[in-house]
This record gives sequence, C-alpha cells and structure tokens, in this order.
Amino acid sequence: MSTAALHQVEMKPKEYKSEVSVVWCPGCGHHGILNAIYRALSELGIDPTKMMSISGIGCSSRTPYFIKSYKMHTLHGRAGAVATGAQIARPDLVVMVTGGDGDGFSIGGGHMPHMARKNVDMTYVLYDNGIYGLTKGQYSPTSRPELKAYTTPYGGPDTPMDPLLYMLTYGATYVAQAFAGKPKVCADLIKGAIEHRGFSYVNIFSQCTSFNHIDTVEYYRDLVEEVPTGHDVTDLGAAMALARRPNGKAPMGLLYQDKRPTLVDRLQEIVTKVGGHPDYDLNKIIDLSRP
Amino acid sequence: MAKRDLIIRIGGEGGEGVISSGDFIAAACARAGLDVYTFKTFPAEIKGGYAMYQVRASAERVYNQGDTFDVLCVFNGEAFEVNKSQMRPGTAVVYDYPGGDFEPGELPPGVFGYPIPMTQAAKDMKSIRSKNMVALGALSVLFNIHESTLVGALTKKFGKKGKEVLDFNLQGFAKGKELAAKLTKQDPWRLADVQDPKDIIVIAGNDAVGLGAVMGGLEFFSAYPITPATEIAKYVATHLPKRGNHLIQAEDEIASISQVIGASYAGLKSMTATSGPGLALMSEMLGMASMSETPVMVVDVQRGGPSTGLPTKHEQSDLFLAIHGAHGDAPRVVLSVEDVHDCVDMTIEALNLAEEYQCPVILLSDGSLAFSTQTIPAPKPASYTIVNRRRWDGQGTYKRYEFTPDHISPMADPGTPNAMHIATGLEHGETGAPNWRPENHWAMHEKRFNKLNRIVDTYRPTEIDGSGDADVGVITWGSTIGVVREAVQRLRAEGLKVKGFYPKLMWPMPVQQYEAFAATCKKILVPEVNYQGQLAHFIRAETSIKPIRFNICGGLPFTPAMIVAKVKELI
Repeated sequence: MSTAALHQVEMKPKEYKSEVSVVWCPGCGHHGILNAIYRALSELGIDPTKMMSISGIGCSSRTPYFIKSYKMHTLHGRAGAVATGAQIARPDLVVMVTGGDGDGFSIGGGHMPHMARKNVDMTYVLYDNGIYGLTKGQYSPTSRPELKAYTTPYGGPDTPMDPLLYMLTYGATYVAQAFAGKPKVCADLIKGAIEHRGFSYVNIFSQCTSFNHIDTVEYYRDLVEEVPTGHDVTDLGAAMALARRPNGKAPMGLLYQDKRPTLVDRLQEIVTKVGGHPDYDLNKIIDLSRP
Repeated sequence: MAKRDLIIRIGGEGGEGVISSGDFIAAACARAGLDVYTFKTFPAEIKGGYAMYQVRASAERVYNQGDTFDVLCVFNGEAFEVNKSQMRPGTAVVYDYPGGDFEPGELPPGVFGYPIPMTQAAKDMKSIRSKNMVALGALSVLFNIHESTLVGALTKKFGKKGKEVLDFNLQGFAKGKELAAKLTKQDPWRLADVQDPKDIIVIAGNDAVGLGAVMGGLEFFSAYPITPATEIAKYVATHLPKRGNHLIQAEDEIASISQVIGASYAGLKSMTATSGPGLALMSEMLGMASMSETPVMVVDVQRGGPSTGLPTKHEQSDLFLAIHGAHGDAPRVVLSVEDVHDCVDMTIEALNLAEEYQCPVILLSDGSLAFSTQTIPAPKPASYTIVNRRRWDGQGTYKRYEFTPDHISPMADPGTPNAMHIATGLEHGETGAPNWRPENHWAMHEKRFNKLNRIVDTYRPTEIDGSGDADVGVITWGSTIGVVREAVQRLRAEGLKVKGFYPKLMWPMPVQQYEAFAATCKKILVPEVNYQGQLAHFIRAETSIKPIRFNICGGLPFTPAMIVAKVKELI
C-alpha cells in the first residue's frame, strides 16, 4: 500500500481494539486472527484514522467492529467490491477486507477474480473455517465432503475449492496462507500484505469449535507445513505447485509476490494521458456537441 | 393547426448508413437553426436487421417524434414493406430504384414516389458505402435540406479523415442531387428555411446524462454494459478523466453499485447507470445505501421487460422497481426525465439530491430518449448549483447518525481526525453501533423517511400545462410528457378544455400538487408506456384521484395523435 500511511503513530496492539466487545465463541480461531491484525497494525504504526476496514456478512465479517478505524459493514459477499470503490476514492489509506470462505467464495465469488486481476491495492484476510458459522453450520465452498453439517446431514456432495489456486490463477500479487493457531506467522503475513502494493490475499485456517467438528485445531496444526526455505516467491508455477499440496500438506507462509501496476496507477495514467485536472474547462467538453 | 414541421424517416438494413444519414440530417437542421427531435430503432441483432432513424425538424419547438413521417427514404425492400402501412395520401417516398433489391410496384393511393438508383450510382462510383450519400443528395434537393448546412456537417465528420474521404463522399452527395434534379417535385414537403443561428448543442439522451454527470461534479462512476444505457458510460469514460476522476467497469451491476457505495462512503460523489435488469440486481445494495445513509445516484434507462424483454425498445415499466425495489422499508428519491435537456439538468439535480439527502436517488430515463438526438440550449456550467454533502465541522463528539432537526447527519470522510465511525447495513444507533431496541429501529426509520419529506416542498413544483378548469387533465411522466404537450396544444387549438400535469419528482410523491390539479379537472387520464399503469397505480394508492389508465406496450412511444383521440373519447 501507499507508504504514506505507515509508521504514523506508536500504538500498542491492544490500543487498536475498539470499544465493541468481541462476540465470537470461546475457542474460535478468529480471536487469534484478530490479535494478529492488531499486532500487524501496531508494528506498522498505522494511524487508525487512515485505515478503512470493510467486511460483508458472517462471523469473521464482524471484525471491523472490533478494530479502531473507519469501517463499513456491508452486505453478504460484497465487501471486496465495496472496498474497490473505497480504495479508488482514497488510495492514500490502508484498506483491509476481512471475511469468511462463504462470504468470499460462495456469494461473493463473482467479485474475487476481479479484485485480483485489477490489482486493487488492498489486503484481503480470509478466515477459512470451512463452514457458515453465523447461520449455525452449513457447508461452505471450502468444506470437506466428510463434513456432516446442517444442510449436509449425510456429508457434502461438493468438491471443496482451493482459495490459493484460485487467487494465484486470477492474478493476486501477494498470496499467503497461515493457521490461526500460529499468531506470529499470521501477524507477519498480514503485515507483509499491508506493506505490499497491490492486491494481497491472506488465507487463514481458523477452527470453528461450534459447527465444524472435523476441521479442528489439531487437524489444521497437522495439515499446515511451512513453505520450504528456498521457495522462489516470484515463481508463479512453483507457488501453484505448492498450493496443490504435493505431500498432502497445506503450505504456510508467503507463496507468491509480484510487482504490477495497481488499478489506481493505471487509472491515474489515463488521467495523465488526457491532461486531466479538476479545473478542466467544462465548456471544452460541451463544445464537442455543437453541430 | 398548420403543420410547420417536417418528419423524415430513413429505413434500411443496419450497417447501410441509415444511422449516419439521420445524424447528418439532424446536424444540418441544427446548423440551420431548427429545433430537432430524432427517433431511432435498432435491431437487437449485432449486424443487419431493420434499422430506422427519424428526424423531426421545425422552426418552432418540437417536443416528440411526431405522429408519422412525411417523407420516407428506404434503402431496401424490407424497409419499404415495414413502413408501407404508415404511408398516407401525401407521403413522399424516396426509394432505391432501379438497381436496388426491390420493385415497389404500385404505391398506395396519393403517395408520391421518387425512385433514385442509389445502389447503382454507388456501384458506378465503385463504392457501395456511398449509397447513403447519394440518398442525402437526393433528399437535399427534394425537401429543401439546406445544402450549405448539410455539406458543413459532412465536412465536419469526414474532414477529419482526410481530403480524399471527404471528396469521395461529396461526390456521392453531388450524384444524388443530380439524380433528384431530373425528377419532378409533386409533394408539398419542404424543410423550414434557415433561421438565425442559436447557441445550441445536438446531443442524444444518454450522452446528455453523461454530460450532466461531468458537469454535476461527479467524481466516480462504476459501469457495467447494458442496453440501452451503455453510451452513458462511454461518454463518462471519455470525459471524466479530463476532470481528473475515474470510471471503472465492474464485473456486474452488483459490483457497480457496491463500488459506488464504497467510493461515496470514502468521500466521492459517485454514480452508476444501468437498465431494468441491472437495477433489479442492485436492489439489495440500494437498501444498504438507504440504511447506511450513503449518497448514491443510479440512472435507469428503461427498456421493455420483464427479464431480457425487449432490450432495444422503449418502455416506462420500472417505476415500481425504482420506488420499491428493495427489501424492508428502504426510502429513496426517484426522478424522471422528459427530454434530452432534462437529461443534463436532472442528472445534476439527482447528484445534488443524493448528496443533500444522503440516500439513493434513481433517475429514470427511457429507451426512446437514450438514442434520441435533440437540439438543446448549450448548457452554461456556471448557471448550475452544485450541492455537496454536509460534512462534520469538527465540533463536539462525532456521531455519524446523530438525530438532527432536519434528520440529516453530517458525514465525515475517512482520514478525518476524531470522526472514526462505521457505515453499516445493520440497524444502528446514533454512533453506528448495532442497536436492536424496538424504539431505536422505529426512530431510525422515522429519521430516514422524514428527512425526505422536505423534498416535496423544496423541489421545483410540478409543471401544470394550462389554466382554469378542464374537462380532461392528462398526467404523465418521462418522455411521454413531450407527446402530451403537443396533444394538449392541438386539443386546445380546437377549443377543448384540456390540461397537463408533468411530474419529474416521482417519489416521494407531491400528493398535494396532484390533488390540487385533479380538483380542476373533470377526468384524469394517465397515459403510460407500460402494461399495468404504474404511475396510475401510485396515484390511486397515494391520492384520492381515480385516474383513467391509458396504456400501450408495443415497444414504441405514444404519438400525439393517439393522445388527442383518447382525450376526445373522454369529452
């Protein structure tokens, strides 16, 4: 993101907590992710007034309420699209979207490719718990078929999607994954995502202790494996190969990072090309319609 | 009433130069100081199909496309057949013969025929594309389309492409003149003579919305392509960057309205434009704009529905959707435009109202205005008032949804110190924090609805056409207003007592104004281009008036003659 918003203040992680009490269940992985966000914001010295925290609907979409910042709590699936507009309006601010797997990849699935390919300069933290929690436990796009949930009493009929392959394919320029049980790793990756100029996607496995009884803390702890040292984060093919879990392990860490002009960079180029400025004479535009 | 206007219709295969010929005639008439109102229909196909362009021009003001054509120029047999039933005694028909794709046979009684071998002449010049230039030359001679202004329009268009292209087209034009000069003029039709030059522009409805947006201080536009609204985005994409601002194309209409809300929250004056299907997709997010009190402006260029319906045809059937399209009680302002001049002015007003009242404002245009080119006075940017949202003055403690005497709470752009807040779709208290208490939901509903009450009294009063008592009062909206204006004029010229009532503020409804008007009329007629009588429905629901519905829904606008006949039935 724009470096202008970094290292503006000195605030401890807990000073980024808002006055609203956290409403998640005890043992929920989301607590760990929220703490990692506080830590990342603190380490980057971000002025809360220079941040827009935006979400859709779901348990994880409550996150903005708990963070000191400007914020929007929007509609199910639409956070990324709303954030795109907000980011274009204020490219000088930090824009962070927080949401879940259902919000992002089911109802909001039509928007994800476009934030990525447009390279909107923002950070998208996806709390991936393989379940719809707020509606009390329906299977999601990342649920395993074994999951017996509210609407899948006999197990699910669908193959789960892979968020990492999805985001790599559509051109996200920062793709990382972590597990909520590793708060330091989460914080470092979120920090890197905010610092990155372009669309940053951080997928964080987060256990739902109330409704997903198969993707437990133990399951995720065993599932993840740190990205091997020597992995080249500029190599898209290598990132995709890792995302496919060659040894059955989900990679944890930064998989891919690329430098590409952001959406606002490109829009600004257009303005420069036409010599645009706020005082451009409207009569010149009107005169074009004279017969 | 003596007819002082001339209506020329050109018909042919899409891609044959029908549209460009019409544009040249319209430009020539405008250069001649005449008032111009054009009407076009396009095939829904990508290439080919019947295309039609009609130009109505007069030394006096023209309000609509007219009853039917005086002069028909057809490029092929299909266009001849399509229009044959509308030929009357006195109609002049210019057609491609010999050498074209048809023989007209015997013309209907009293119709004057002018065979011009357009295709043959074009072939002789080794360019079939100059067929429409030959036609223009012939029309110029036959109907007094002023050569100087027509050549001026051609030069403006083709001059940019180099002398060779221009000369080639002018040759075709000269050939057409030569061919027509050999014929004997039999019909009475001629275009009005050149008038004093006027300070006007010639612009289509969609472009005019785009111009209004740029003039209205628009700072962000999110687009998604849809017929018949896409030209708005094209215009804005071309000109908004000149003012340093941005248009982006989104992945769908839901994303468009979402981006507009995000940008507006972040401080920019923002809008999108769409047609009915897109507005339907935006419904949920418009509810969020109502709830979060975020200024957003949406233009809906209505087309035939429901579903994919008649994508390229005219209809006024989105009033229900515009006024009530969202779940829950979701207040908004709905405006509608009458003509191309309105497209400029009311786009600016719609942006102003969105900013002033912090809510969705939907501006309804329609398929016939979208592509209708009209002469309008050149807008003077300095003469428009531009309204921006009320922003927090930094005094005291900031509460985003603070209860205030006029129910409008100041906004604060992100980045403002001491004003951090949340914009939310959840019901909330004054600070924005979720609040489910019954009395709070009720009070917040009152805030969101009551802030709009003032509009009914402060928005310019509904125009009343005529005075005194009337046997029939005609209430209508959108581009049908222009048709009713002329019908009412004709009826009054015949000594009948008829008045018109032309609302532009569709919602909230200025109920007292409707009632006051109806009190002076024995009967109220409501013509609308939709099946159900959507405005009539709201009149019935919100006022004590019992309107007589008059609905057509064939994909075409009313003609003045249809209104005249209907009113006479009622007297």
